[in-house]
Amino acid sequence: MASSQLDVGGGGLSRLRSALPFSGHDWGLLLVIPGVILFSSFMLYPIVYLFYISLTDATFAGSVIGGGAELIGLANYAQLLRDPQFWSSMSTTWLFVAVSLVVKVFVAVGIALLLNHARVVGKRYMRAAVIVPLGFPGIFTITVWRGMFSDARFGVFNTVLGRYNEFMSALSAPQVLLFDVPIGFLSGRWEAFFAYVTTEVWLAYPFMVIIIVSALQDVPESLHEAAMVDGAGWLQRFRTVTLPAIKGPVLFASILTAATSFQQFLIPWVFNRGGPARQNELIIVYGYREAISFNEFGLSAAILIVAIAFVGLFMLVAVRYGGLAEGVGEQ
Amino acid sequence: MSAIRSFAALVAAKLVAFATAPKRFVVTVQRAIYDLRTGKRTPWDVAKSVLMTLFGLAMVLVLLFPLFWIFAASLAEGTRLFTTSGIFPDPSTYNLGAYRWVIFESDFFFVDGDWGYPQLVLGGSGGLVSFRWAGTETGPGAVFNSLYIVSVTLAAGFGMIVPAAYAFSRRKFVGRKRILYGYVLFTQIGAGLSIATLVALYSLFSSYGLTNNLFVLGLFYAASAIPFNTWLLKTYMDNIPVSYEEAAMVDGASFFDTIREVILPLTKPGLAVVLIFVWLAGWNEFIIAQTLLRPENYPLSVELYNIATEGRFSTPWTRFAAFANLFALPVAIVYFAAQRSVEDGLSFGGMEG
Repeated sequence: MASSQLDVGGGGLSRLRSALPFSGHDWGLLLVIPGVILFSSFMLYPIVYLFYISLTDATFAGSVIGGGAELIGLANYAQLLRDPQFWSSMSTTWLFVAVSLVVKVFVAVGIALLLNHARVVGKRYMRAAVIVPLGFPGIFTITVWRGMFSDARFGVFNTVLGRYNEFMSALSAPQVLLFDVPIGFLSGRWEAFFAYVTTEVWLAYPFMVIIIVSALQDVPESLHEAAMVDGAGWLQRFRTVTLPAIKGPVLFASILTAATSFQQFLIPWVFNRGGPARQNELIIVYGYREAISFNEFGLSAAILIVAIAFVGLFMLVAVRYGGLAEGVGEQ
Repeated sequence: MSAIRSFAALVAAKLVAFATAPKRFVVTVQRAIYDLRTGKRTPWDVAKSVLMTLFGLAMVLVLLFPLFWIFAASLAEGTRLFTTSGIFPDPSTYNLGAYRWVIFESDFFFVDGDWGYPQLVLGGSGGLVSFRWAGTETGPGAVFNSLYIVSVTLAAGFGMIVPAAYAFSRRKFVGRKRILYGYVLFTQIGAGLSIATLVALYSLFSSYGLTNNLFVLGLFYAASAIPFNTWLLKTYMDNIPVSYEEAAMVDGASFFDTIREVILPLTKPGLAVVLIFVWLAGWNEFIIAQTLLRPENYPLSVELYNIATEGRFSTPWTRFAAFANLFALPVAIVYFAAQRSVEDGLSFGGMEG
């Protein structure tokens, strides 16, 4: 109605309307635009600005804000490639993502299978309890884990290991099985790395468990029964019935959690600032420290742009080949 | 109002379910014994169930150990936490001293825990003698800053996420695919990205004079929550058959009726999840807040971080624990009530297989 009246109204106007790239049917766009604008102004615009900073020689906060910095082209990126700390940080980050992802998948699948098992009484309550970590603030849980990984003789894990040692010695176990307590969880390189991975797995497993459990519950019971009638053992049923059902969701959850792991900042920062001796600086921590502790704002911006580019690339590949955007094309 | 009532009913139902759980457990045990006696199940069969259950229980205990530990620690104010005798403090020394500290001495509710004081008023409008609560002298504390930020985040977030999710799920428009694709790319880039852009953010905020502004910070958190939650809600809405709306339309419902009577009620679990995630986005973040705000505007998350890092090597664990428990309490309550919805809403119906 309204549009036909407008068409009558004037030839110029209707020609203008047909020249526009959208029409009255596209009013859905209006619902989306506010979110896009908010997101772009607070997230995309800073990235663009960060890229600009990465091309300057900004070395103190004032020069970033006041604009006293000179454009120096790609010099920061060149310096970055020569910085051994960058390569060490990059490889540590990838190792962290890979190791924690593998552990996460095994832990989450194990928990989901157990808490979906017909023989476990009260599994609904257990499931409710097990996903609780998802609801706690990261700064809270990560600080608690730092406390448990305390270097002190009476830190939680060191005490537990001490008890374990006493127990094993009582069984007169060989020396190899004993731990050399106290372990400096936060002061050794690989000990700290181990602590990071443990914490990361603990933070991420609830999300995976939720997704895997809901996939498991969609598997019809009759499939299992049919497999059992055919004489399939537990392992065979896992391979032929369970695995195909959870493969998609596990891949999906892996992509999402791997991308978060890559940007993990709080764990290394709260634990020991990416130490000891900067050996465990994950990429974001590295970039943050270059700015905060060393005032290398241009270099820091370059590092963070590289990190963002990596995550973006990872997500692009994941979305394209992991079927993450399956629903996008449908209407 | 009705939302509050239904929320209360939900919590009550949960509590009843928890309170009656032991009875149902006893019934399960009795049935197992009966089955054993009558020979319906073999002892080995029952033993397998018991073992599996114990195994599950042990796993839950191990997984939640950090939370037990910190809860026990919060009750141990004034005692030495790390001792030779064990990890957990001695139950006979449990006390609420740390919570007292949080409420009446820390900046949690009011600066320096100054709640104001009751004042006796002679005469006046309230009768011959009446009580009045005199205001605090030091000002409101961190919890009000946090609540303010979260309200802005929730209002802005919901105002933008819900309509956008509806449009993505039900409407065709120019650029739909491209925008949605962009959102999916950014789904998992929340907190990490904000820290990455911190340097740029700080200078941008300073040059526009927006630092130390809680409102803008709330908007910022909403922006960081938009891609993931829009996408999540869109996938959830995709699972609602379009035929429901068509049926309502045939019955004479207007467009807004279909939204109110069909879409919103059926999307409730999805909305619950989005509520929690958007809340967490505003409630938990602290690096940006610490950088952009001045101490009088610090929200709870920054205060918590400051307690955690007070001494380089010695976190005051009991006080930290009490503070953190109170900090996490609102989320825990909502989470507890909406736990079913969280599982449903996060299951990504369209993503399976």
